Amino acid sequence: MRIGIPKGLLYYRYHAFFETFFSKLGSEIIVSEQTNKDILDMGVQFCVDEACLPVKVFHGHAASIKDRCDYLIIPRIMSVCIKEYICPKFCGLPEMIIHSIPRVPKVSVEPLYMRNEKELFRWCLSSGSVVTKDSAVIKRAFISAVTAQKKGRAGINEQGRKLTVMLAGHPYIIYDDYLNMGIINKLRAKGIGIITEESVGDGETREEVKKLVKKPFWTFQRRVFGAACVLLRQKLIDGIIYLSSFACGIDSVIIDLIRHFIGNFPMLVIKLDEHTGEAGVDTRVEAFIDMLERRVFNENYNPSPRECVFSGQNPV
Amino acid sequence: MRITIPHLGNVYLAVKILFDSLGLDYVIPPLNSRDALYLGSKYSPEEICLPFKLMVGNYIAGVENGADTVLLVGSCGPCRFGEYPELQIRIMKQLGYNVDFIVMDPVQSIGLNELFKRIRKVGSASKKSALSKIGSVLLAFTAMRLIDEIEASAHAIAGYETSPGEAKKLLSSCKKEVFSCSDPVKAVNILNRYRDRFKTIPADYSKKPLKIAVMGEIYTVIEPFSNLYIEDILMDMRVSTSRRLTPTWWVKDMLLKTIRLNSRELLKASNEFLPLYIGGHARECIGEAVLAAKQQMDGAIQIFPMGCMPEIVSKSILPSITQKKKLPVLSLVVDEMTGEAGYRTRIEAFLDLLERRREHVFIGC
Repeated sequence: MRIGIPKGLLYYRYHAFFETFFSKLGSEIIVSEQTNKDILDMGVQFCVDEACLPVKVFHGHAASIKDRCDYLIIPRIMSVCIKEYICPKFCGLPEMIIHSIPRVPKVSVEPLYMRNEKELFRWCLSSGSVVTKDSAVIKRAFISAVTAQKKGRAGINEQGRKLTVMLAGHPYIIYDDYLNMGIINKLRAKGIGIITEESVGDGETREEVKKLVKKPFWTFQRRVFGAACVLLRQKLIDGIIYLSSFACGIDSVIIDLIRHFIGNFPMLVIKLDEHTGEAGVDTRVEAFIDMLERRVFNENYNPSPRECVFSGQNPV
Repeated sequence: MRITIPHLGNVYLAVKILFDSLGLDYVIPPLNSRDALYLGSKYSPEEICLPFKLMVGNYIAGVENGADTVLLVGSCGPCRFGEYPELQIRIMKQLGYNVDFIVMDPVQSIGLNELFKRIRKVGSASKKSALSKIGSVLLAFTAMRLIDEIEASAHAIAGYETSPGEAKKLLSSCKKEVFSCSDPVKAVNILNRYRDRFKTIPADYSKKPLKIAVMGEIYTVIEPFSNLYIEDILMDMRVSTSRRLTPTWWVKDMLLKTIRLNSRELLKASNEFLPLYIGGHARECIGEAVLAAKQQMDGAIQIFPMGCMPEIVSKSILPSITQKKKLPVLSLVVDEMTGEAGYRTRIEAFLDLLERRREHVFIGC
């Protein structure tokens, strides 16, 4: 049995889990290649026009391996935290793939709730049954997959360089070097330290979002917004670079929320789509870094009064 | 407390009847127009969907006309609609308006106590007794139902009437008359009278007009300005249209959702293609398409705002329905930059296609 795992969307967060689980079940695993031009083109060709770039790329990944595997893992991730959701497109992802790409093999369609291990195991039971009927094997594979996942979760946290920026956005944009045009390496080459939202604890972000009028119902919104506020208050960062994809519904809310709270703290928003040119992005990042350098190292720099009073309170 | 509301189709008529009968002070903002859209898109986040922008435009108009409280419904689902109040409250404050927001979130997510607290906040401004308050709500709901019914029959009869344009004229005079009437009971009587008048419109049922289902994202389907008055355009072209998503349907759906008995027919129809709720009204859209095919409609038009996450999923499923159920579907994406000429051309081309398809020998093969 050959199991296909497209390298897109939340693969970047949960790859350890999926790969360990299915390899422990004794099946051959086929992971699609790193995103490249062909995969992007295929995604654009198959996917519905209005979708965002990561979803299009995911279609490309699925299409690139569909002929080489018997079973395609398209995780229909409904929710990863209690009373929180993720983007609605994830909930309909298997349908999008089935109805957009011709001749797909069998696809995993069970909803996947990751709110606790019990729910996760339920998904594993039904998806694992495609490979083996032995529930003891599934259980063993599940346990080692969970351990692998817990070990693998890191994020980036580089402090102590001349400048530190928070690289905010969804993991499938931050860690996909093709989509973001290698921004992590570019920043590192300039001597910039990077912090991502994973370095802030869950509890801290939960505490932080209490200042909002309404409890956020997207996990990403809580995490990214909360982490940005926490890092800013702890004065760990000199700027925020937000990598977002065009027409991302969740980012349209988060970016505006962050803007409302940070006052005139520097934030660069980079919108990515299938037409994004690398030179333009480079120029903007360079200009942003130049600005940060002058802002931090210029002796005559006087922070504005608004910045001085900023203490994590609602400025509104 | 002077309350204002954002527009959604004809809801303002029912809300007016409700507030009149409760004796509350209110401001109905002017109907959606270029001005509302201009103001809204000026102050809203760039990439947020169209309903948000129009609503901000409505608030500003309402507050400029003296309102100090905004009443709106909310959600806590995966769709962006649930985050509207969060951003809108901030935008209004940033603009220097001192407004209070009362958001009616679904009971499942905020609990009964909180919901009652919010309802009391509105209700306490009225001096009527508790019983007559309930009566007012029922009266408003009756009005809403009647308006939806009248509108539906106007859209259905448009293809059959013997003197074209009569239904449209009657509909607009009905809205005008109800809006200018400040006595709630009289207003409901006017609606009743109009409902009967629609039954007497001379129509020739031997005609075979095109029948089209209008479906998609609930706000853009119901609010005529946001879809560039598509139902009026279709009425002028003598096409019979039907639409399931109405404010009445929404209220019923919300109430029945608590006991999981909402819109059984639609959900059953959608099971084959989309068996799960994914937020927004994507599942309903799929169900409507399947039902439209079952009822042998000639085609369906899906409307959604640019970037609408649930409808993107349903748009990617619709080609399969077209193929399997032989239902032509036109997807129209609207935002603040939609041009009218291009929009009309696409609708006309779609109607031409449907007409020719009908005459084709191999139809349905």
